[in-house]
Amino acid sequence: MVGRSLRQIVWARLRRDKVAMTCLVVLIVYYMIGILGPMVGPSFGLDPYAYDRAAISNRGGAPVLDFGGISAAHPLGVEWGTGRDILSQLLWGLRISLVVATTAAFLSTAIGVIVGIIAGYAGGWTDMVIGRLMDLVLAFPFLLIILALSNVLTDRITDLGVPSGNPSRILYLILVISSFGWPYLARIVRGQVISLREREFVEAAVAMGSGRRRILFTEILPNLWAPILVYATLLLPAYIGTEAALSFLGVGVIPPDTTFGAMLANSVNYFHAVPTYLFIPGTILAVLVVSFNLLGDALRDALDPRVTR
Amino acid sequence: MLRTDAWLRRALAIGVTFGLVVAACGGTNPTATPAGPTVGPGESPAESTMPDLHGGTIFMLTQNEEFDDIDPQRAYTGEDLAFFGATIMRALTGYVYSDDPVVANGVTADMATDTGTASPDATEWSFTLRDGLTWEDGSALVCEDIKYGVSRTFANDVITNGPTYAIQYLDIPENPVSEGDDAVYLSAYYGPYNGTGQDLFDQAVSCDGNVITFKLNQSVADFNYTVTLGFSPVPDPAIHPDLVDTVDQYTLRPWSNGPYKIEEYTQGNGGHLLLTRNEFWNQDSDPVRLAYPDQWEVLFGIDAKVIDQRMMASQGDDATAVCYCNIQPENLNTVFADPQTPNPDFAGRVVSDYDPYSRYYWIDVQKVPNVKHRQAMAAALNRDAIRANAGGDFAGALGDGVIKPNLGQDYAETGMWTGLLGQPIPDSGDPDFARQLIEESGEPMPDLIWDYPQNPTRDLEAGIVVESLGRAGINVTANPIPGGSYYGTIFNDEQAHQFGWAGWGPDWPNASTVIPPLFTDKGGWNISRVRGEANQDFIDQVAVAIGELDRSAQAKMWQDLNKLAMERVYVIPTTFGLSQVIVGTRIQPVYQWAPWGSWPYAIMYVTP
Repeated sequence: MVGRSLRQIVWARLRRDKVAMTCLVVLIVYYMIGILGPMVGPSFGLDPYAYDRAAISNRGGAPVLDFGGISAAHPLGVEWGTGRDILSQLLWGLRISLVVATTAAFLSTAIGVIVGIIAGYAGGWTDMVIGRLMDLVLAFPFLLIILALSNVLTDRITDLGVPSGNPSRILYLILVISSFGWPYLARIVRGQVISLREREFVEAAVAMGSGRRRILFTEILPNLWAPILVYATLLLPAYIGTEAALSFLGVGVIPPDTTFGAMLANSVNYFHAVPTYLFIPGTILAVLVVSFNLLGDALRDALDPRVTR
Repeated sequence: MLRTDAWLRRALAIGVTFGLVVAACGGTNPTATPAGPTVGPGESPAESTMPDLHGGTIFMLTQNEEFDDIDPQRAYTGEDLAFFGATIMRALTGYVYSDDPVVANGVTADMATDTGTASPDATEWSFTLRDGLTWEDGSALVCEDIKYGVSRTFANDVITNGPTYAIQYLDIPENPVSEGDDAVYLSAYYGPYNGTGQDLFDQAVSCDGNVITFKLNQSVADFNYTVTLGFSPVPDPAIHPDLVDTVDQYTLRPWSNGPYKIEEYTQGNGGHLLLTRNEFWNQDSDPVRLAYPDQWEVLFGIDAKVIDQRMMASQGDDATAVCYCNIQPENLNTVFADPQTPNPDFAGRVVSDYDPYSRYYWIDVQKVPNVKHRQAMAAALNRDAIRANAGGDFAGALGDGVIKPNLGQDYAETGMWTGLLGQPIPDSGDPDFARQLIEESGEPMPDLIWDYPQNPTRDLEAGIVVESLGRAGINVTANPIPGGSYYGTIFNDEQAHQFGWAGWGPDWPNASTVIPPLFTDKGGWNISRVRGEANQDFIDQVAVAIGELDRSAQAKMWQDLNKLAMERVYVIPTTFGLSQVIVGTRIQPVYQWAPWGSWPYAIMYVTP
């Protein structure tokens, strides 16, 4: 009889969860589309920047065909006023949304883990200073700061050599989202570490004269993967939503590029006339976020089966 | 004229010679409007054949959270000038209320007994005030009050953003100080608060009993139009000791001399402006305003989509509301069968008419000094997509200059798109020709940034600009700026970029209110920064044209200057705008009043 590692146990539990597997497949498809779509799209005639004058009316710019101009050439319809293809915009926009959300989630997880471990293990003054710092960051009116600093900081980023326009703006989004997101995870990790540091295997490592770094990252960190993984999976959909919200508010990417949030912001103006324009990006965004959330939940169940729902 | 801004339809304007007054055709108008040149109290059908139309409240719905400036010396937005001019802010002269744009653009007496008397060379103008003019506290409005109002324009350190014709035309030397703290003042007279140069002002503007005389530094044949802008009275503290002018109080609470007064003004979401009757206003002293409703109430901060739904439904109080806005693009096809014809449900209460504005993209000629570069930008731009995005046939016609055809004799085709730049340019742009122009320039095309006041429609427009110039190898980045701070930003040399969005309409029917303000430093709308040696010949020609007394010779000069400005691409004209507006079912009369491109507020009433 062969013993199974934790990873194998978790994977076996996940495999049995049909919802989780469906979500996983959906997410893989999303990422594949996000990565490959803009690369292979042009060979299928997809171009998010091409204007199709024939697809929109001369009187007000409404799509000529019903359901937002759905046709063979534009399977998901066209944008009001310009005739740009919505399918292409979704493909290109998905990439920006995923890049922002994934990078920001990775960054805030990394910062949160490191800060949390240090605070939890060191205790005392270090813990208190870091704790107050986390309180401070959490107390900031996050959205207001992002809106207010947008222009100033984007210019600073450009001054540092990042190309002006969207590269700077995307980097700004990533930096601000992650710099306000880490304290949540840091608190969770700190609590875990406080309980772990008194455990026998840590004391054994200390007794054997292990260095502090080895204790933190080799002894303690592996025991934290469960909460980190779950939290990161839940962070991703939140950040996709945040990016959409910020683009909706006008802080995100600038034209001609687009993202989910920018498309939703635009479509709201034409909701009464062309409801599909709101529903299509909205549905695709909702599926993405729900998939992440369900997968995160399933992952938590698999990692910690004692919690029953 | 006036500035247009991101959110509002603002207008000032001019004769709309090819305007389509949709509503007036549809709705039979029982009252005064069409035929007569003036609608005065004495001849008003309201007093003879019609039931009494007085009473009721007219509501105005707007997504704005406040008015830009109500101060008599600072108001400069067409719709605001029309509304406050009709209710609380009288002037020496005004315009005729008529749905015929040519008639409406005629100047008529308001506080003055006639439209003014000019000296033979038109360098001195005098106006005689009517009897019975009063302020809202019942005290007499005298000549000195007008003089004091005009003097405030010169305090341009604190009275900002208003029309500056008084500084431009009155015979007071320009400020000799070019540096230091005093440089803010454009004139040697620093306004009533500082007082420096008061004697110079007293010589230029004098009161003799009820006759006010203006001495000008040049011949101005249409100065009686000029006095409609920024020449309105403010109580002179020397005569009204209980009314101290603290500069800013009139921004929120101007002292009324019209048929209404401000009862309450709260800004922001859910705020309102309530105007009630000014009991001291005397109908006999006012040949222009009929003042039918008992109250006006402006409701601020309502979402544009909500306004449209409420106006279209026209239920309850909304039946007596006017929309201080444009109909949103998505509803145009519900309201109109085509740009000239409303659908039957809305006949008689919607208007689709040319507004006074030319839309264009200014190009900073200091930052893009090479003419060929600017021509390449114009050649590459996809104007057809811009017009389609703005609403296609509902957005108006493609422009070919800054002078709109409704300016009458001052307009002539510039040929900008039919060969002026070397070869005809299709509406969707010609990237190959643009590349050729860049090559001819002998210099590499600089990277550009396009400034624009952000709204959803213009976000898409930005995409069109970036994409269509990109096809010609011109690298453009879009720079969205919040609507409220847009003009402040682009007038700042540091913050403005190479080119951007703008709109302008004439202040009165003469291109002297278009070419000089847009392309010289006089008049304050020179976003293109036309100055310096390369443009000196243009500036000199403008000075000659302003001084020309023969109106038809002057018109020819404006035509030529408009053409020259387009050849040098100081701006890229995009559209001559059309706008669509709506009122409730119980409001009459319904037409676009040509002078300011507004509702005819002074004669509107609630149907019994």
